[in-house]
Amino acid sequence: DMQSQAESIRTVFSDPTNFNVKHPLYSPWTLWFDSPATKGRNLPQTPISAFPQTPIPETPGAVAAQGWMEDIKRVISFDSVEEFWGLYNNIIPPSQLPQKANYYLFKEGIIPAWEDEANKNGGKWSIQLPREKNRGNVDKMWLYTMLAAIGETFDPSPVLSDGSGNAPKSLITGVIVSARPQFYRLSIWTRLAPSATEEDGLRERIEGVGRHFKTGVLGFQEGQKLGGALATEVEFLSHKDSERKGKSAKKIIV
Amino acid sequence: SNTKNENIAQPLPSALSTARHIESLESVSYPEGIKSPATDLNRDAKDGKFRYDRGFLLQFMELCKEKPDNLPPMEALGLVGDLSGHAM
Repeated sequence: DMQSQAESIRTVFSDPTNFNVKHPLYSPWTLWFDSPATKGRNLPQTPISAFPQTPIPETPGAVAAQGWMEDIKRVISFDSVEEFWGLYNNIIPPSQLPQKANYYLFKEGIIPAWEDEANKNGGKWSIQLPREKNRGNVDKMWLYTMLAAIGETFDPSPVLSDGSGNAPKSLITGVIVSARPQFYRLSIWTRLAPSATEEDGLRERIEGVGRHFKTGVLGFQEGQKLGGALATEVEFLSHKDSERKGKSAKKIIV
Repeated sequence: SNTKNENIAQPLPSALSTARHIESLESVSYPEGIKSPATDLNRDAKDGKFRYDRGFLLQFMELCKEKPDNLPPMEALGLVGDLSGHAM
């Protein structure tokens, strides 16, 4: 009857053109993009003032980041599975990106810079893959990386609970793919990074993210050696250690 | 509510922009052959915050091809393929 029909739930699987429900994501996400061609462009579609200004500490690094953020373009925000695919199916994959271009997929409200409150105590898992050998794989690797991010499966226990009964936050703040003349790099940014004296299980949790990235997402074997010419292992570095660039930087490798 | 005959061209706004968020995964039944989201990921789900496995998510790929209404023109963003004439 009319009443039950009006109230019925139609997913995109039962009605691809007139579905009336969509699948919400754990968090809303924003896609950002930059390339040499976006530098200096000031586009009405993506004014830098369109996203809420994140308070940035007055450090030399932060000032540099502000300049950099002017060249990075906000593409779109979305909060459902269906919208993600609508976006995915209408933009070019990493294998077709111009050289020196990057996609940044970050949770809404977090800018893809280590100065952001959500990133400043964190770090990143990353892997570098030689361009020629991986041009045929990189699109699938990036897709699977995005799906693990939006599906919230990188972090087996998104339990950074604040004790208030709100849904817990996960460790992941964003994922990045970088196209370079000689290689691709994939990165996963985390809210926190373990310290040398870590005792609360954070290191295990961070390593769990890295292992899932290496085996579940990228399809390598656990323990498989990946480093070589233009290639790195799947390795974690805190943003603070990246900034220091010293030999003291302690990488975690899975 | 308003029921229209939509045999003619799809009017704006699109289903994509008007569909409401699912509040409970238990309320949804999927057609035969479509996998439901992995239940162990959503055992403690609340506030419409769901986690989805890759197998579930990949099922949408061929169905959700409509360009989002709010996607800016890619040329304006400089987001075009490296074979289509960027000046490098």
